[in-house]
Amino acid sequence: MVKETYLHDKHVALGAKMIDFGGWHMPVQYSSIIEEHKTVRENVGLFDVSHMGEVFVSGKDAEAFLNKIVPQDITKLDYEKAVYCQLPKEDGGLIDDLIIYKLGIEKYLVICNASRVDEDINWISRNQRGFDVFVDNQSHNYSLLAIQGPKAIDVVRKMGYDIEDQKSFTIKPATIEGIKLLASRTGYTGEDGFELLVENKYAEFLWDKVLEKGAEFGIKPIGLGARDTLRLEAALHLYGNDLDEETTSIEAGLSWSIPKDKVADYNGKEVIMNQVANGGNKKLIGLVMLDRNIARHGYDVYFNGEKTGVITSGCVSPTTGKNIALAYVKNDKEICTGATVQVMIREKLHDAEVVKRPFVQKRNKV
Amino acid sequence: MSFTENILCTKSHEFVLKGEPAIVGLTDYAIEQLGDIVFLELPEVGDEFAKGDTFANIESVKAASEIYMPVSGKIVEVNTALIDAPEALNEDCYENGWLVKIEATNEADYEDLMTYADYKEELE
Repeated sequence: MVKETYLHDKHVALGAKMIDFGGWHMPVQYSSIIEEHKTVRENVGLFDVSHMGEVFVSGKDAEAFLNKIVPQDITKLDYEKAVYCQLPKEDGGLIDDLIIYKLGIEKYLVICNASRVDEDINWISRNQRGFDVFVDNQSHNYSLLAIQGPKAIDVVRKMGYDIEDQKSFTIKPATIEGIKLLASRTGYTGEDGFELLVENKYAEFLWDKVLEKGAEFGIKPIGLGARDTLRLEAALHLYGNDLDEETTSIEAGLSWSIPKDKVADYNGKEVIMNQVANGGNKKLIGLVMLDRNIARHGYDVYFNGEKTGVITSGCVSPTTGKNIALAYVKNDKEICTGATVQVMIREKLHDAEVVKRPFVQKRNKV
Repeated sequence: MSFTENILCTKSHEFVLKGEPAIVGLTDYAIEQLGDIVFLELPEVGDEFAKGDTFANIESVKAASEIYMPVSGKIVEVNTALIDAPEALNEDCYENGWLVKIEATNEADYEDLMTYADYKEELE
């Protein structure tokens, strides 16, 4: 059965085009993906991302447990801070990617992909033996609203939230419009922004308030279509496209997120540390098409006349007008920034240039 | 008289306006479903296609789709202006947004096509 968020009726009332996304009936667009995309880059947009999973991990061994299942160093995560993590298997392949927040002593929040909640919980319980932890999947009780864009800060201020000391990648308990919630300064668009985690019963009220208070800043509801083009311009990975159980963090270009001096053992450490030194079997690259053709998920990539890999995400970039893509190719030194590869589109090869990621630079550093 | 009054439509959302030449394009419903159009690949004058053949490709931000010939025929004119500005299809897919003009070769090909009114009804 297709699931609906507590904001489903709002989307339908706003005239959204709805699609099935990972088992959820979600808005793909309200007006136009390009318009919505530009709204977020230039002003501010509101997203319903309530389909994402929220798992609370608490108990005496919460820190040690999380430290065992991610390559990131949870012992160095301060109170109210967030860290981008991956959930590797022993062979380094990824079960999911996550954001872990430290909410208090022995209390953490894990936000994971909607499509992977069951696999994550399954994986977590398999790893739980010997640890004194309580894993509480609260995904069905919480709604998540993302306010994203250069004017996101103006909207939350207008709603009475004092963000003075809230930096990027932090989370705080807050009271906004009389509602107790968790406010996190994170997002998935390459812009500054906030994600508000509330109990389901407050979701509709908060959604309306954000649109009302954000009106003077040009806020609009944004669908999953623009969420995808925004994250791709920022070269943020999408699980299922750019990450999967056959891909390691290093192959995915996520080496920057992995501490090389973490003392504790963790799942996949041997493979990951070996790949840090020697590289993986494949590598993620950014591409810009050199003609009008668009590289899409699943298209083959060629180098020097031979198949070298596959496109995992691709779209037209509404900000630059160029056709951009992420691809995995053989870990070949010659396939480097500035090199030309070919993408097989409708049985013809089309040139693409390897470029640095992200495709669009973040303008508002926080 | 509105353009759609005389067109015939396929289940795959192409239209053809009978005539010499006949005019072929995509329905407003197809364009609406695709969303922002960002790419269009059209055939060349002189190319020949059978009914049901893929003769063009269209892409929106979301997805890539093939466009099929509603009737067999030979391409006699291509709306080349659309290749450089495919987004114009989001404004008008009929008077200025037709894709190709063809010399239809088989009158019987029209028989299983729907009038625009029937097509709209089918969509509901």
